[in-house]
Amino acid sequence: MQTKEKIRKFLISDLLQDNDISAISDDDSLIDSGIIDSHGIMTLIAYLEKEFKIKIGPEHLLPENFESLMAISNLVNNLLTDKGK
Amino acid sequence: MDFNLSEEQKQLKSTIINFARNELNQGLEERERLGRFPSELWKKCAALNLLALPFEEEYGGCGFSFFNTVLAIEALAYGCKDAGLVHAVGSTLISGLLIKIFGTENQKKNILPKLCRGELIAAQAITEPEAGSDVMSIQTRAIKAENNYLLDGRKMFISNAPIADVFLVLAITNPDRKSFAAHSFLLCEKFRPGVSLGKPLEKLGLRTLQNSEVIFDHCEIPLENLIGQEGQGMFIFNEMMEWERILFAACHLGTLTRILEMCLKYATERKQFGQPISKFQYISGKIARMKIAEELIRTYLYRLAISKDQNQRLTLEASVLKVYASENLKTACFEALQLHGGYGFMLEYEIQRDLRDSLASTIYSGTSEINLQIISKLLRL
Repeated sequence: MQTKEKIRKFLISDLLQDNDISAISDDDSLIDSGIIDSHGIMTLIAYLEKEFKIKIGPEHLLPENFESLMAISNLVNNLLTDKGK
Repeated sequence: MDFNLSEEQKQLKSTIINFARNELNQGLEERERLGRFPSELWKKCAALNLLALPFEEEYGGCGFSFFNTVLAIEALAYGCKDAGLVHAVGSTLISGLLIKIFGTENQKKNILPKLCRGELIAAQAITEPEAGSDVMSIQTRAIKAENNYLLDGRKMFISNAPIADVFLVLAITNPDRKSFAAHSFLLCEKFRPGVSLGKPLEKLGLRTLQNSEVIFDHCEIPLENLIGQEGQGMFIFNEMMEWERILFAACHLGTLTRILEMCLKYATERKQFGQPISKFQYISGKIARMKIAEELIRTYLYRLAISKDQNQRLTLEASVLKVYASENLKTACFEALQLHGGYGFMLEYEIQRDLRDSLASTIYSGTSEINLQIISKLLRL
């Protein structure tokens, strides 16, 4: 499964479990809509680091890297690319 | 993972324990009663480099690993009976780590060397009268103008505030965003017009630690005082909580070990019904439970400190350690007082102070309840 689809599945199954939303598009606002809240961001970062075996360092802990599914996917792919170098 | 300490690490602990026993405990009863911060002992701690442990040598630090820092703080809390002073040291190290990890080069150069030398005290200003565990609901705002931020708000229970030179303030910098991306951290020096303090707060325990309200009233903060980037505030907060929960567990462990040894001594010396009270299973069981807690906290603490040196994220683990260490410290202090019977209840004995000091441990750095909630969330419950 592609990076983006894995993350989409996680967001829907874990972060939206108490929410009526059943689908997330690539560019939906995740932070300001409340899909990712201050607790959810911890859950998401822990998931990303474990699932993709990456380290999200302090320099990457910025809202813009988690604004949308596309932004998260880009962050993960960039970190995976850096790791492979 | 090797938990066997090297000779250097054993020497480090031994040096700090001897220093703390010889230098930091005299006069404690009086200053604890008065709620006075021991400035002269703070200087001694700085002279021994206790405020410089985890910072790079180029900023005046010792360049210690986090594991060695944890060992040092465990030793300090074991030897020093002034838990307020130990807490002030721990809190200062966490403030410094925040600057070390997220600060600009200028912020590091301006703050860390003075902090290491004990010439500058930093305080994290996060909690507010209406925002404790629910950090997201803070009301303090830092609105960006042309050349500065205009800071307005009230912070509550701030550790080190009455003696601090600089505050690390969590504030809303983008009120249009109704989410955690609205928050940022800013440096605010105490000399800035608009900064004022409430009177030092009287507390049940940790009485030598200085706490007060901090008020920011139209306080102008230069743009270069932003820590990290705008909108990064909650990320910084979450990151720093990991370090803090692990470091304060080292304080709890050191104290717990001291309590355990005190109970062992008393239970083997105190005789009732013709034999040491340690021979009664209700008594020995209390001490055995303290030993179990001490061993488990030490093993887990050392594991997490070493993992942190390997840049591992430990959100769940730090909360697990924090709850386990603080709850067990509190229980051990209650049991120690009970084990000492009537003597334990007397003010001239030290146990009542350790008990009072321990009560805050399940409140600060995230209450046990909020840490259990974090653990539950991370277990996807």
